Amino acid sequence: MEKNLLSVSDFIALTNQTLEYAYPSVAIEGEVSEFKVSQGKWVYFKLKDDTSTVNCFMTLWQLRVAIEDGMKVVVLASPKLTDWGGFSLTVKSIKPSGEGAIKKSFEILKAKLQKEGLFNPERKRVLPYPPSHIAVISSTAAAGYADFIKILNDRWGGVKLDVAHVQVQGESAPDQMIRALEYLNTREVLPEVIVIIRGGGSADDLSAFNDEKLVRAVASSRIPTLVGVGHEVDESLCDLAADVSASTPSNAAQVLVPDKVDLINNTNRRIMGLIPKLDSVYSREIDRTRGIIDSVFEAFNHKINRQLEVVAGINNTLAQLNPETVLSRGYALIRGVVSVGESIEIETKSNIIKAEVKDVKKR
Amino acid sequence: MSKNDKTIQEKTDELNAIMSWFDGDDFALELALEKFKQAEILAKDIENDLSGLKNEIDVIKQRFDIES
Repeated sequence: MEKNLLSVSDFIALTNQTLEYAYPSVAIEGEVSEFKVSQGKWVYFKLKDDTSTVNCFMTLWQLRVAIEDGMKVVVLASPKLTDWGGFSLTVKSIKPSGEGAIKKSFEILKAKLQKEGLFNPERKRVLPYPPSHIAVISSTAAAGYADFIKILNDRWGGVKLDVAHVQVQGESAPDQMIRALEYLNTREVLPEVIVIIRGGGSADDLSAFNDEKLVRAVASSRIPTLVGVGHEVDESLCDLAADVSASTPSNAAQVLVPDKVDLINNTNRRIMGLIPKLDSVYSREIDRTRGIIDSVFEAFNHKINRQLEVVAGINNTLAQLNPETVLSRGYALIRGVVSVGESIEIETKSNIIKAEVKDVKKR
Repeated sequence: MSKNDKTIQEKTDELNAIMSWFDGDDFALELALEKFKQAEILAKDIENDLSGLKNEIDVIKQRFDIES
């Protein structure tokens, strides 16, 4: 018995060794109570169910989601006996459990970050369009990534893509994405835009995109960000913090680059649109020229007619002056000396008469 | 890139300038056909350039699942 005699410290150390061996990491679900943050560094709370309660401790930097009393959570922790004989769980990670708790946590963190101005519209930057150098943060094995690449390749070309392969769900996903963001933001040649994508999933699958540190990293990226996570209806805090948010990974590709087929069709339509326009200009020009010709012709005609009228007048005058005309009206021409006994010649319309003057009287 | 060293953007800008010419005050009937042919050639060129471009995808070797 005496051989096994331990000091209190040894006993606590031995107990902790045994606990560490038996439960290196244990996931426990329970309800949070007496949640408090001390000195801006330490987090204390109790985890309980209907009959039991256990003390929990963690550092504030490990707390990545919003937690409040009454919230159902799952903690990943290791049990520990403290030097002063208290039993507690040292929590490595904590996340809300169940739809209601996830939603509640989301709303609390959203309100907090909103108050800080992380989602303000004036923070949003315009993405280059189309970019020539993109960085993508995603899992290369994910369907969402495949969708993004397919749509991007279908729509546009000539883009350099640097892909940071990371986990997009699970415990380590936020940290991996944060590391990728830091890496891309410090490269010698910076991409023009960072795209973070993940396909659809359950609220729990997408919870990585509501991680406070990741949301802050997205908001503070010096390279503009585009986030396309989940389905149309899903909204993550990363979506809100990003410069631009797309509803899905496919939509992210649509937002990022134009569709070359549309562009080609549109260009051809514009060119073809010139034909009726040119037709109309040519028709107008022909009509205008025809109008000018018509006016010239009309003016010319008018002048000719006027001249013809003048000539006709002259002709008429000449005709009146013609002696034949006078004769035809019954007058006669008399040639010779008009004295008694003299012989004269009288010309009528139809005869030339020789006559002798028998008498001459003054009128 | 086809034929010459102009980028797609430069060609698009050139095409836009020609299209604007048709609506502008400088429009002259005598030049219209020539401009139209230029626009057609540019459009074809842009189509060829766009169809030929491929994206270059590199997966970064750096691992993000472990702290560096």
